Amino acid sequence: MKIEYPKYHYDIVKSLLDGKFILFPGKLYKSASEDKEFYTDFFKESFDYELIVETEYVYLISDNTDEKTSRDIMTFISILSYEIDKEGKNFIDELNSSFFNLERINQYFENSHSWHEIIKENKQINSPESRKSLIYNTMLKRNLIEKIGENFQFTKAHKIFLNFALELIKKDNEVESTYTQ
Amino acid sequence: MIKAEPKTILSFIHQHFDLLKELFLAQSRNKTIDYEFLNNEIEKYGAEIKNQLFEYQIIKSINDEYQITDVYYNLFEFILQQFKPLLPEEIEKYVQSITNLFIKIKEDIRKDKNILIERIDSLTNEIDKFLSQVKNNTSSLLVKSRDLKANIDNIDYQEKIHKASFWIEYYIIPLNNIIDIHNSESIYNILLNISEYTNEKRLNFHDENIRLKFERLYNRLKQALIDIRQQSEILVNELIPLIERIKTENSILKGMHHYLSKGLWYKKNSPQQELLQKFRDNVFSNDFEFSTKEYFEQFQLEVDVFINDENHSFEDWIFDKFKYKERMTESIPIQNFFEWTMNEIKSENADFNTSQYFTMVSLLFEKDINIEYQNQYEKVIIEKDNTELTIPVLKITKDED
Repeated sequence: MKIEYPKYHYDIVKSLLDGKFILFPGKLYKSASEDKEFYTDFFKESFDYELIVETEYVYLISDNTDEKTSRDIMTFISILSYEIDKEGKNFIDELNSSFFNLERINQYFENSHSWHEIIKENKQINSPESRKSLIYNTMLKRNLIEKIGENFQFTKAHKIFLNFALELIKKDNEVESTYTQ
Repeated sequence: MIKAEPKTILSFIHQHFDLLKELFLAQSRNKTIDYEFLNNEIEKYGAEIKNQLFEYQIIKSINDEYQITDVYYNLFEFILQQFKPLLPEEIEKYVQSITNLFIKIKEDIRKDKNILIERIDSLTNEIDKFLSQVKNNTSSLLVKSRDLKANIDNIDYQEKIHKASFWIEYYIIPLNNIIDIHNSESIYNILLNISEYTNEKRLNFHDENIRLKFERLYNRLKQALIDIRQQSEILVNELIPLIERIKTENSILKGMHHYLSKGLWYKKNSPQQELLQKFRDNVFSNDFEFSTKEYFEQFQLEVDVFINDENHSFEDWIFDKFKYKERMTESIPIQNFFEWTMNEIKSENADFNTSQYFTMVSLLFEKDINIEYQNQYEKVIIEKDNTELTIPVLKITKDED
């Protein structure tokens, strides 16, 4: 029996299993989102991974509690957002459309007094070299940023971390309201 | 009673406007102007004008503090376009007065002409005042929301979210309820009813003067309805999304703050956070591909480097000197030693090699034999492994000594 796979099946599976975000617009995104049902079943049945199809990106999640990369990226984006806000700029707009470079990132992290201890303790963000590696290796490979000459921009996939922060607060509020009842 | 000429007062305001503006801003912030502040400002501007301020009734004294009088406060508010947002309850009173006046007009339409005219004029004024308040409020809320979004006061994000929630809950949503064109009980729909009624009366009321009054009211209402729609659009399309965005972005920041604050805690106690517990992981490590390739390459290397066949067909040959010497002794005399040696080794192993042959030849050096070299011209040629050996004929006899 010959199975008919969706277009770009190999590239879609490889990208997602490599931990990449598949971004809109793009042929992989188009194919993956059009065959959302197939891929949801495919990854669930083959790997027990959950496929998430958002309007701007597609990605996989697993139940791996040891996973540290997303924790490091969340820490990085949280500190960056906090410092941008402190500067009086709108961090959502900045993350969405501004150009960053290593010099600007290093300034934020070196002048962050509020999160100095966390930066010092996290090996992925505690030095210019480690931050460079996190940005241009880890985040670039996962399609979280796009390199443009000497600068980079966050792709829409960064919103997953903003949404996560919102979810945290919602949960926190639920817990608070449960206590006050 | 003010004795000064109006132009003198206006000239005074013009001359000391910067100081008056400071007083206005102080009162906007704190509701009143305290004694010390007033004196400091007068000193700062080097103008001894305290008496005039009271004489022109620009400020009034309330206990130990001062306040700009309403008429001047409204003037400064207007010319500086810095309106203090009114509580919706303050605006709502116009809705009540407009409704009441309209009811009265309808009820007493056939009664006294003069009171009817008064009421129509009054209704027109109330509509004007109402619109003016709504416009000022929308404008001031927009300014305040934009300032809040840009965080020009550098306030903490938690205070920011608190302020945003405050504005939306107590000012923006109630104001929107008052003017919402989709709400049947809103002022928009009340004015729409008045407009229909007025339209009819401006055309068919028997008294011309009153028809003209209705005509004026009708024109005001037409404009009012347009203005309310505009204000409602600003609220719905601009102000509410803006303030919601402030709330959202601050919730995100609050979540991040929460995450970072718990980050250290996490290391010690491993809480079950969803991101860490159930989140996209790096399904394969980054260097999975490289490692796999490298892993297989090591096997490819073993195949490429040929390993000799371990199952060779011959047994390892060991030179048993004792055995061959015994045989040699038994064979003595031996006429041609090299030939004899060749035959001996061949009889045991047809596939012998030259190295094994030369090992056998070492029997020549045994002590108890005698070697005779008979004819120097007589040679033996032995061929083996592409080697051709030309060797003399040696006779072996027993050494009798």
